[in-house]
Amino acid sequence: MDFLRPATWAEALTARAERPDAVPIAGGTDVMVELNFDRRRPGALLDLNRIPALRQWTRDPDGTIRLGASVPYARIIDELRTDLPGLAMASRTVGSPQIRNRGGVGGNLGAASPAGDTHPVLVATDAVIEVESAERGVRAIPATEFYLGVKRNAMAADELIKAVLLAPAKGPQQFSKIGTRNAMVIAVCSFAVALDVAARKVGAGIGSAAPTPRRPFEAELFAADALPWDSRADLDPRIATRFGELVAAAAAPIDDVRGTAAYRRHALSVMGRRTLTWAWREHQSSQSCQSSKELT
Amino acid sequence: MNDKLVGQPLVRKEDPRLLRGDGRYLDDLGRGALAAAFVRSPVAHARITGIDVDEALDVEGLVAIYTHEDLPGRIAEPLPLLIPHPDLTHPRTPYCLANGEVNHVGEAVVMVVATDRYLAEDVAERIRVTYEDLPPVVGIDQARAGERLVHEDAPGNVAARSVQTNGKGEAHEAIASAPHRLALDLHIERSASMPMEGKGVLAHWDADDRTLRVHSSTQTSTSVRLAVAAKLELPPDRVEVITPDVGGGFGVKIVHPWPEEILVPWAAMTLGRDVKWVEDRREHFTSSAHERAQQQHVEVGFDEAGRLLGLSVEIWHDNGAYVPYGIIVPIVTSTQLLGPYKVGAYRVEFTSLYTNTVIVTPYRGAGRPQGVFAMERTMDAIAEYLGMDRLAVREANLIQPEEMPYDQGLVFQDGRPLIYDSGDYPTMLRMIRDLVGWDGFEAERAAAAAEGRRIGIGIGAYVEGTGMGPYEGAHVKVETTGEVVVSTGLTTQGQGHYTSLAQIAADVLGVGVGDVTVITGDTRRFKYAVGTFASRAIVTSGNAVAIAAAKVAEKAKRIAAAALGDGVAPEDLELVDGRVRRRADPATAIDLRTVAVLSNPLRYAFDEETKAATQFAAATATGEEPGLEATGYYMPERSTYAAGAHGVVVETDPETADIRILRYCVVHDCGVVVNPRIVEGQVHGGVAQGIGGALYERIVYDDAGQLVNASYMDFLIPFATEVPHIQTAHMVTASGLNPLGLKGAGEAGVIPTSAVVASAIEDAEGLAVRRMPISPSELYELRKARQARKEQVSA
Ligand SMILES: Cc1cc2nc3c(=O)[nH]c(=O)nc-3n(C[C@H](O)[C@H](O)[C@H](O)COP(=O)(O)OP(=O)(O)OC[C@H]3O[C@@H](n4cnc5c(N)ncnc54)[C@H](O)[C@@H]3O)c2cc1C
Repeated sequence: MDFLRPATWAEALTARAERPDAVPIAGGTDVMVELNFDRRRPGALLDLNRIPALRQWTRDPDGTIRLGASVPYARIIDELRTDLPGLAMASRTVGSPQIRNRGGVGGNLGAASPAGDTHPVLVATDAVIEVESAERGVRAIPATEFYLGVKRNAMAADELIKAVLLAPAKGPQQFSKIGTRNAMVIAVCSFAVALDVAARKVGAGIGSAAPTPRRPFEAELFAADALPWDSRADLDPRIATRFGELVAAAAAPIDDVRGTAAYRRHALSVMGRRTLTWAWREHQSSQSCQSSKELT
Repeated sequence: MNDKLVGQPLVRKEDPRLLRGDGRYLDDLGRGALAAAFVRSPVAHARITGIDVDEALDVEGLVAIYTHEDLPGRIAEPLPLLIPHPDLTHPRTPYCLANGEVNHVGEAVVMVVATDRYLAEDVAERIRVTYEDLPPVVGIDQARAGERLVHEDAPGNVAARSVQTNGKGEAHEAIASAPHRLALDLHIERSASMPMEGKGVLAHWDADDRTLRVHSSTQTSTSVRLAVAAKLELPPDRVEVITPDVGGGFGVKIVHPWPEEILVPWAAMTLGRDVKWVEDRREHFTSSAHERAQQQHVEVGFDEAGRLLGLSVEIWHDNGAYVPYGIIVPIVTSTQLLGPYKVGAYRVEFTSLYTNTVIVTPYRGAGRPQGVFAMERTMDAIAEYLGMDRLAVREANLIQPEEMPYDQGLVFQDGRPLIYDSGDYPTMLRMIRDLVGWDGFEAERAAAAAEGRRIGIGIGAYVEGTGMGPYEGAHVKVETTGEVVVSTGLTTQGQGHYTSLAQIAADVLGVGVGDVTVITGDTRRFKYAVGTFASRAIVTSGNAVAIAAAKVAEKAKRIAAAALGDGVAPEDLELVDGRVRRRADPATAIDLRTVAVLSNPLRYAFDEETKAATQFAAATATGEEPGLEATGYYMPERSTYAAGAHGVVVETDPETADIRILRYCVVHDCGVVVNPRIVEGQVHGGVAQGIGGALYERIVYDDAGQLVNASYMDFLIPFATEVPHIQTAHMVTASGLNPLGLKGAGEAGVIPTSAVVASAIEDAEGLAVRRMPISPSELYELRKARQARKEQVSA
C-alpha cells in the first residue's frame, strides 16, 4: 500500500486523478476502522493532512462560511457555535474527545454513513458541498443531492471535497440524537431543525432512519405555515406534535441491533416535537431580548 | 505492636507501575518471534470439503501452514473435558483445528505461521477453504426443538440434563397444594466478558535443554502447564508457564488449554523458533467464550405471607458448540438461585443445549446473575400478586442468623454440600432498605411525577459461594535484605493480589507492606495451584500465605532465640517492625534480615553481613533446613458463602424510553475484609459490568449463526457516562471455615444487577419485565404491547 502525501491542493487533485485506487484520508477515524476490519485494502492512501486550507474556515463576502473539509469537530464546537449552532451541537455528539480532535465534516461526507451525525444539519440548513477535480474544476453540490445511498455519495472518482458552504444561522437551530449509550455511539436516529426567522421557513433533517439523510418536506412546510411567527405566543403543543408525526412519516427506518423500525419512527416523532419546541422557545427569548433592547 | 495491616484500605502497590505504562502484557513480549494467525470458519455449521493453500504459498515471509491433518499424536485428539460430571452424558469438545466439521463461526481451521502478523494474515486470506453447509442451530428455541442437530450423535442437542431437589418434599405437590401459585417464563440473553486484553500465547522451545517456556494470558498457569505437557507429551518438569500482566480475565481465561495454547507451543517446538499469537478483538468475539443465555420456567406456590412453599425451576441453558468446561454454569445457576431465602420443596432441572455458536464458559458471576434473576423476579411477582411490599415478601423468606450454618440440601459446583457458613441476611436487607431510601420512596416518586418524570425502585439479594477448593499454596521467603517474597501459583488479572496478599504476609511477619513482594502465576516460582476464578483467591491463597508466613515466623523465632542465647526461648519472641524481639524486653532483639542471614549457615562469607553466618562466628540454630522460608497450603473443606443486597432507582423517559440509573446502592458482606479499598473497587467494577449486562451488552447472532455485533461499535460496554455513583456499605460476618475468616468478593457486584434493574424498571413502568438485557427500543415495544392489550380489553 502506497502512502501519498501531497503538499498542496493541486497536487492532491492530481494524485486523486492519477490513482483511482487511492483512498483519501483526513482524520482517519473512518478509514482506519475500515482498514483494521479488513473491509478494504486500497492500493494507496492519499493523506490530506499536509494541506493547510482544508483545516481552515473563512467567511465569504456575503457572510457564507466556507468550512474546510478537515476542520476537526473540536474546532467547530469552539469557534463556530454562534454562527453554526446546529452543526456545533451535532459535532458535540460525535464519538469522544479523541475522535472530535481528528474527525471532521469532510470525512463524515466522504463516508456517507446513514448514521453520520452532521448529515441532518447539512440538509436542514441547505449546506452546499464544494468538490473539485483536476480536470473539471469546482462543482457545488447541494447537501440534499449529495447522498445517494448507504455509504454512497455524488462525488466522482477523481474528485475531492474542498469545503462545505454554510450560511450563518438565521434563527434558532437544534439537533437531537438518540444513541444506544450516552457517548461514543452510532445514532439510532437523529434529527436537526433550523428556523429561518426572516423568511419564515423551517428546515429539517432526519438521520439514521433511511439509506440517506432525509428532509421531511411536509413537516417543514407544515411548521413554516403553523408557527405563530407574528406573535411571541407559546407554541401550541398540537403544532409540535403534528410536526413530530410528519417527521416520523418521512422516515424509512429498519430493524437492527440498535433498535426496531417502530422505535425509530416513534423516537423521531418525539425528537421532532422536542426540537421544534426548544427552537421556538429560543426564538421567543431572543425576540424578547431584542424587543427589550429596542425599548431602552 | 504494629497496627494490623489486614483491614486497612491501602492503595494498591501495583498501580504506579501499571499506570505509568510499565505493565508487561503478552504482546509486549517476544519481539522477533514468528507470528501465528488463523483461518477461522466464516460459517456456523458445515463440513469442510477442501483446503487449498496454493495461492498462499508464494507469500514472502510464510513459514508454515498447518491443518488438522498435520497434527501429531494427542494434539490431533479433541481438547480435554476439564470438568466431567455424571449428568454430562454427551460431552463434546473441540479439536485444536477443525477435523472435517465446523460448529461455529470463528472456529479455527488452519494455522499460519509467518515472520510477522501482517504476513500471516495475508497468507490466511489466500487460503481457500470450501464448506458444505449444514443447517445451523441458533438460539435456545431451535436447540430445544431438536429438529436440527449440532452434533449428530447428541440427540435433541442435549449435552446434559440434571435434576436436583432439596430434600424438603416434592416440589410439584407443594406448589399444587399451596394457597397461591404463579408461573413465570424468563429469558436472559447471551453476553460476554470482554477483557480489554484478549488471549495470547508466546512459546519458546530450548532444544538443547529440552524445555518449553510458554507465556500465556491465562487465569491458571499451573493448569496450562499440565495440559500442555500432556498434549505435547513432555514431562511436566520440562514445561514452564508464565503469566505476564493480564489485562482482565473475568472467567474467559480460566478455560484451558485453548487450541492456541497447544498449537503455538507445538509450532515453536516443530519449527525451533519462538512463536507468538495475540488474539484480536474480532477473534475474541467469535472464538473465545460467551455466557448468560438461558430460558427459565418458574412455578411457585406460596402462602398469604408470601412464603415460598414450593418452587420448581426448569432451565434451558445454551452451552454453545462444545462443553470443554463442563456444566458448571447451569449447576451454579440452579444451586445459587435460592439466594438468602429458604424455600419449602425445591426442584430444579436444567437442560444444557448445544447450539452452533461460540462456547459458553463461566463469566464473572458464572450463572448466578441468571439464578438471582429467576428468584428475584419471582419475589416481585409474588408481591404484585399479593399486593404486598416487595421487601416484605423477601423478609418473610429470609434465612435467620440463628439458623446458620444453613444447609440448602443441594450439591454445589465443587461437589460439596451447599451449606451457608455464616451470614446475617435480615440486617443486610435492613441496611439496603436504609441506603437506597426504600421507605421514603413513594414521596420521591410523587415529587418526580409532579415534574412529569417517571422513576422506579428495585431491590434484590444474592448469596455467592466463594473460595472453593481444592487448594492454593504459597511460598514465603525472607531474603537477607529483609525483603519478603511471597510466591503463589495463583494468577492475577487486576484484583490487587500484590497488595492484599502482601498485607496478610506483612501482618504475620511484622514487616511493612512495602517490604513484601508478591509473585503470581509463574510455575518456575510455584508449581502447585488451581487458579484465579470463582471469587476464590483471597480465601484460598490468602489463608495459604498466612499459613506459610506463620511457619516462617516460627522458624525465625527459633533461629533468633538461638542467636540471642541467654536462655531466650522461641515462645518469648515476637516479630515486630522488621525485628524479632523479646516480648518482655523489646530491646533484646535481632533484625529479621539478620535472622535470614543466620538461617543459611555459610562456609564462605561474601560481605560484612554474611560473616555472621560463617562457621566460627555463628550461633545458628541447629537442625533447621537452610533458608528463612516455608511453604504452606490451604485446603478448604467447602465453599464460604458471601452475600449482598443491591438497590437501584431508575428513571425512564416516558417518551423515548431511555433508561437512566439515578442511584445505585450495595450492601456487601464478604467476611473479614483484607483491603476495603480493593473490595470496593471490585464491587464497583462488578456493578459496572452488571449494568452493562442489564442495559447495554449482548451478543447477537442472526439466523445463519453470524455474530452480527462483533465489535465495540455495537457491543456496548458501559462508559463512565453510564456508570452511576455507587454507594457501598459493608457488613462483616466472618467465615468460621478458614483461619482468617475470609470470603470472596470478586464477582459480587455483577450478580444481582440485572435482577434489580429489571425490578426498578417494572416499578417505574408498571409492566412485567421478563427478559434482560433491555434497551430503550425494547422498553418501547413492551409499552406498545401493553397499550395494544389495553385497547383489546376496552374494545
Ligand atoms: C470511535 C469512533 C466513534 C465515532 N463516533 C461517531 C459519531 O458519534 N458520529 C459520527 O457521525 N461519526 C462517528 N465516527 C465516524 C467518524 O469519526 C466520522 O465519520 C468523521 O467525521 C470522519 O472524519 P475523518 O476526518 O476522520 O475521516 P476519514 O476517516 O479520514 O475519511 C472518511 C471518508 O471520507 C473520505 N474523505 C475524507 N476527506 C475527504 C476529502 N477531503 N475529499 C474526499 N473524500 C474524503 C475518506 O476517503 C473516507 O472514505 C466515529 C468513529 C470512531 C472510530
